[in-house]
Amino acid sequence: MSVNKGKIPFSQGMWVTKSSGEARLLGSRCLSCKELFFPRKVSGICVHCQQRRELEDVELGPFGKIVSFTEVMQPPAGGHYHGPVPYCYGLIDLNDGVRVEAQLGGDFEKLKVGMKVNLVIEPLYVDSEGNEVQVFRFHPIEEGIIQGGSHEN
Amino acid sequence: MKTNWQRRPVFVAGIAISKWGYYPEVECFEYASKAIFDTLRDADIEWKDIQAVFCGSCYQGVASGHKVIKEVGLTGVPIVNVENACSSSSSAFRLAYQEIAAEIYDVVLVLGMEKNPKGPIPSTAFLPWELQLGFNFHPGNYALETVKYMTKTGATEEDISLVTVKNRRNASLNPNARLSTPVTLEEVINSRMVATPLRLLHCCPLADGAAVAILCSENKLKSPSRGIKIAASTLTSASYKEEYVPGGILASVKFPATLNLVQLSAKQAYDISGYGPEDIDVVQAYDTVSPSELWDLEELGFCAEGEAPKLLRDGVFQIDGKIPVNTDGGLMGRGHPMGATGLGQIVEIVLQLRREAGTRQVKKARVGLAHSMGAGPNSMVTILTKNS
Repeated sequence: MSVNKGKIPFSQGMWVTKSSGEARLLGSRCLSCKELFFPRKVSGICVHCQQRRELEDVELGPFGKIVSFTEVMQPPAGGHYHGPVPYCYGLIDLNDGVRVEAQLGGDFEKLKVGMKVNLVIEPLYVDSEGNEVQVFRFHPIEEGIIQGGSHEN
Repeated sequence: MKTNWQRRPVFVAGIAISKWGYYPEVECFEYASKAIFDTLRDADIEWKDIQAVFCGSCYQGVASGHKVIKEVGLTGVPIVNVENACSSSSSAFRLAYQEIAAEIYDVVLVLGMEKNPKGPIPSTAFLPWELQLGFNFHPGNYALETVKYMTKTGATEEDISLVTVKNRRNASLNPNARLSTPVTLEEVINSRMVATPLRLLHCCPLADGAAVAILCSENKLKSPSRGIKIAASTLTSASYKEEYVPGGILASVKFPATLNLVQLSAKQAYDISGYGPEDIDVVQAYDTVSPSELWDLEELGFCAEGEAPKLLRDGVFQIDGKIPVNTDGGLMGRGHPMGATGLGQIVEIVLQLRREAGTRQVKKARVGLAHSMGAGPNSMVTILTKNS
């Protein structure tokens, strides 16, 4: 059995963890039309308005709601995915005003379209060197348990 | 952007299709070259008269069409390989059509072909982070589209399952289909879950296969009465944030898309051809999963949003119905060799318009429409008519 060496993100630059321990996704906002993008647009060009003014980095989340979701019962082809199976992913509209594709966590049986969710950073798998590879997921917000701040909207 | 479509007419002079199936021991160029010879016979055209070749495939690699033509005859004929996801061969068909319409060539051959590995395809249409999160699972992405459709329209699991039942029944009448046995509603609903709410029998089977067409100008038609006229061939690729999860495109919350790709490609095809949905006698819709046939028919304008499930139950989309859909079994029954699928749909429309569709022949067939989609995304509409 491998020893847990450290925690590493599955992909660099997709989220930040604040000093409070809360996570936010990292995206881009167009300075001209205000369109939001996730993940960050490294090209620096807004594909909505084509203005070449700079895009600014923006923190997104943690709250949103489920637009659609599916529970996948078999591993996808290609060998790129090392997480658990079954796994669940879907489309989440963040309160910030941007749709993201993300894995969903918690009890899959309880998921419903329209359900409010919040951002959680958690393990995806343990790599061959014993590192805990982390992923961003959205979990349903359980009544009375508010993680990550207020969810007025 | 105004496009001039008023060029000389173009005809389908001949077609052929291999028996689609699973052939681990047979190379793609073998059944593809055989289908070319069958098409030359069907069109009564000699190989030396072919002036250009467009070959559509997805995963056959560099110079795949050249590999086939080596088995037919190297005459110096220009060969162009076309990869446009599941619209590859309908895109190749469109290029051939344009070359003849523009009077560059008179006789052009179109080939669509594929040989698949067993099981789901590791699509290259996704970014590394998407691959690492398992977002490249084709039935999963269509499941997300299906949940949206069911939420919006109230369509049920039984509704989407009845598409499979219809198309598998049609496939049982098609000797070239991948799956020759019909299935019951119970079999569909009891098949294993793949990606909720989609079960195995809601997903199309991959296949190995080829389809071929020879296109020509009117003066090159050997049999004018058998010639099928191309009334329109339109392609619309992605528009900003017009959501298509299988193509990795999500909607914009701030700037909702105003164009629906399918509606746009259909509108162009209707405008160019002068036909409307009410004129279409037979349809090949894009049933890569069974529910996609329902929303496809709605977006192509054959009925209002959410109305397709009821019309399906009423028998409207059956071979003997008012709008027969996927008469050859569709992707669900005929199978899905990705690069050959678009042309396979066109072959079926040609057979129906020629009244050569055997036991699955629809009664009145004067105008037919084929619609293919693909990662990217792409939406292609082809309208064909009898040469009257």
